[in-house]
Amino acid sequence: MGIQVKNLVKEFDNKKVIDDISFSVNDGEILAIVGFSGSGKSTVLKLISGLLTQDSGEIITTGDIAMVFQYSALFDSLNVFDNISFALVERKDLRKKYTQTDLERVVKEKLELVGLSGIEDKFPSELSGGMQKRVSFARAIVTEPQIILYDEPTAGLDPISSTLIEDYIVRLKKETNAASIVVTHQMSTIKRTADKVIMLYNGKIVFAGTPEELQREETPYTKQFVNASLDGPMKMFAE
Amino acid sequence: MERFYFKNTFSYKILLVLQEYLTVFLTTLGQIVIMMGRVFKRIIKLDVDIKELIYQCARFGVSSLPITLSIVGMSSIIVATQVAGEMIKQGGGNYVGMFVSLLLVREEAVIMSGFAIIYMIGSSLASEIATMKVTDQINAMRVLKVDPIRYLFVPRILSGIIMMPLVVIVATLFGIIGGAVSSNLSSGLSYRAFFDSVWFGLYVRDMYISIFKAAVFGFVIALISCTAGYYASGGAKGVGDATTKAVVWSFIAIVFIDMIFAIAFFF
Repeated sequence: MGIQVKNLVKEFDNKKVIDDISFSVNDGEILAIVGFSGSGKSTVLKLISGLLTQDSGEIITTGDIAMVFQYSALFDSLNVFDNISFALVERKDLRKKYTQTDLERVVKEKLELVGLSGIEDKFPSELSGGMQKRVSFARAIVTEPQIILYDEPTAGLDPISSTLIEDYIVRLKKETNAASIVVTHQMSTIKRTADKVIMLYNGKIVFAGTPEELQREETPYTKQFVNASLDGPMKMFAE
Repeated sequence: MERFYFKNTFSYKILLVLQEYLTVFLTTLGQIVIMMGRVFKRIIKLDVDIKELIYQCARFGVSSLPITLSIVGMSSIIVATQVAGEMIKQGGGNYVGMFVSLLLVREEAVIMSGFAIIYMIGSSLASEIATMKVTDQINAMRVLKVDPIRYLFVPRILSGIIMMPLVVIVATLFGIIGGAVSSNLSSGLSYRAFFDSVWFGLYVRDMYISIFKAAVFGFVIALISCTAGYYASGGAKGVGDATTKAVVWSFIAIVFIDMIFAIAFFF
């Protein structure tokens, strides 16, 4: 059982950013969390990853959690090899378990998995946005996590790089059998990667279903989201 | 008759501004104290990343030595050039070396090195850590279950404690030599007369205090700078604000600590 979220609530300055939401993601499944900017999508990921603490509710996870950040968040003072092997070298429970040969093998393996062999010596500033994103995928999966969280993985990328990243998200799901959550507002990412979708608005779930159901536009919320319309129940600057 | 409302007065507005400054001051002080506790906890447990510590020590030395030597050397030349001639005229030529070395060991080398290190190291530490904070690199570290205090703070702060005294020792020696050369060139004072009086007036206690003060300065500059960076928020402006805060707070802190040392040891 990958991720179970029950009655999650998070407030900032007395305003409920996440308001009593519940959902679950099974192993080998990808959940897309969609919604307009400021709807609380990234906050959900930060709560699951432990970067934030919930005010109430329960988050049950199994195994290691990895997160791919919106702008990759690669350590810019370290090269690709050191970025990917970072957790294996620095994490308390993993330190000294890996020899240099082990590290070289693991890094090579993970880079091959994201289609980037032979760039171990390069620094993040020498890589394109798409390559940085893929290196951050490799870094995320180095500890063999059972849960992978993606925060807007295709934001700021060109359409072809986005497609490539979407393919790698699906590939990583198959290779690792991890429970994954993809926060996005791009329809292409939802269609190509997700098994199921939830839509957040003002911290509440206003739609839960499959990508196909989302596209059927059966509720005012899904209709407005799919058509990217200003008219509908969701107001961008709601009071 | 119009009613008097204190809230509408200029005095109230001034009080509000003071309250805001006081809140920022106390918040920052609290952040520094909390960070100091976290860092000490790891140092006491000897939970130190040795590889990173060696790298940070090398970085501290290489970055700070040229500017520290330049500033301390030049200030020593400035003082010795102006003082040597006058002292010789008043019959105190045998005390020039003592005066210059005492000034350097007790005060000038440490405080000038402190200023140079705030510029070179403090600002660099604050902007580096602030950039890591606003670009989610520190969050990435936390998700990877790597302790950012152990990896980022402890080596940087320990490098301040270890390297600052070494930099100050080298800068002091450089300053004394600079003073001797400038006294000789400007006033014809012999090197022998200069260095004889150095040994005559300098106490071992002064050197110990200087080294201890340098270690405290190194610790305080690194701690304040790292803390300012760690609490940065809001993109490029946040990085700039954190760097300014690190420089201003470090300046005030080392001058304040210097005063405490002067009162404690020489009052």
